[in-house]
Amino acid sequence: MRKLIDNDYVTMLSRLIIGLMYIYASFYKIVEPAVFAKSIWYYHIVPGSLINIMALILPWLELLCGLAILIGICYRGAVLWANVLLVVFIIAFASTIARGIDIDCGCFKAGKSATRAAWKTLWFDVAVLLCGLQLWFSRSKRWMLSGH
Amino acid sequence: MAVGQAILLGLVSVVMALGINSVSPNSIGLVGQYRSLSNSEGPIVPPNAEDGDPQFIDINQAQMEFTLGTATFVDSRDPEEFVCGTIPGSVNIPFEYLPEFDLEQYLDSSLGYVSHDEAIIIFCSGEECDLSLHLGRNLQDLGYTKALIFFGGSREWEQAGLNIQRRQDCGN
Repeated sequence: MRKLIDNDYVTMLSRLIIGLMYIYASFYKIVEPAVFAKSIWYYHIVPGSLINIMALILPWLELLCGLAILIGICYRGAVLWANVLLVVFIIAFASTIARGIDIDCGCFKAGKSATRAAWKTLWFDVAVLLCGLQLWFSRSKRWMLSGH
Repeated sequence: MAVGQAILLGLVSVVMALGINSVSPNSIGLVGQYRSLSNSEGPIVPPNAEDGDPQFIDINQAQMEFTLGTATFVDSRDPEEFVCGTIPGSVNIPFEYLPEFDLEQYLDSSLGYVSHDEAIIIFCSGEECDLSLHLGRNLQDLGYTKALIFFGGSREWEQAGLNIQRRQDCGN
């Protein structure tokens, strides 16, 4: 198991998955902060006064973390953020499923299709978190600009 | 080391976010003025609503969309009522005066040719008025996928202490 976690190629694959995912996810949020603020509002868990500032800072954090993980600069800090953000997102998303909120429309839905799509997203995030944890515990330092 | 790097990344993110937001054409206010969700009772839904109708939204969501400028507000009442008081910046599309022909062209033009997947919030005066429901159904049928109905209307908006735009003094 230790060997697999430390494997250079497995580590690089995880870096690519998480790095590209964060960069991709940050793009539209940076361009359209109002739309992202709306998405945060739909969760109904963030105090109103914090929504906009969160919508502005989070995408940049995602972008920087994605780049840092891909390139290998500030690597441990970026992996730490990536995992913390994923855990927070999983908890927030699970809470919307539990409360029956459909994030797509911001409405309360009891429909099974909405719930199924939400569960799919949740499991995807859990899988990405496993990649993040692999990066955290991996001792591989290959293909990094500045090591750990 | 990881915590130090994380703090550094956090600080750079804050600087980038505030810097870019100050010059971006899509900038938003740093502190959002949203209504508290704690006392939300959910949207008002008329008794004649049917499955497949556009989504009904409450005052909190309407105010959030208004604050962020992410939706076009449409007042479906007659022009005489529209000028007496409406949600600021609303477009007036009186349902009673919809043309029989070229409806799609008329609505597209009235809405300023907004994209069909942008949020459009339709309202009228309040619970006794179902013009918003009918106009919402028309817009949805014409492919406006995010037609939303704020059934509380201008009355609930005003009662919530939010601004009303009056083009004419009608003694109210």
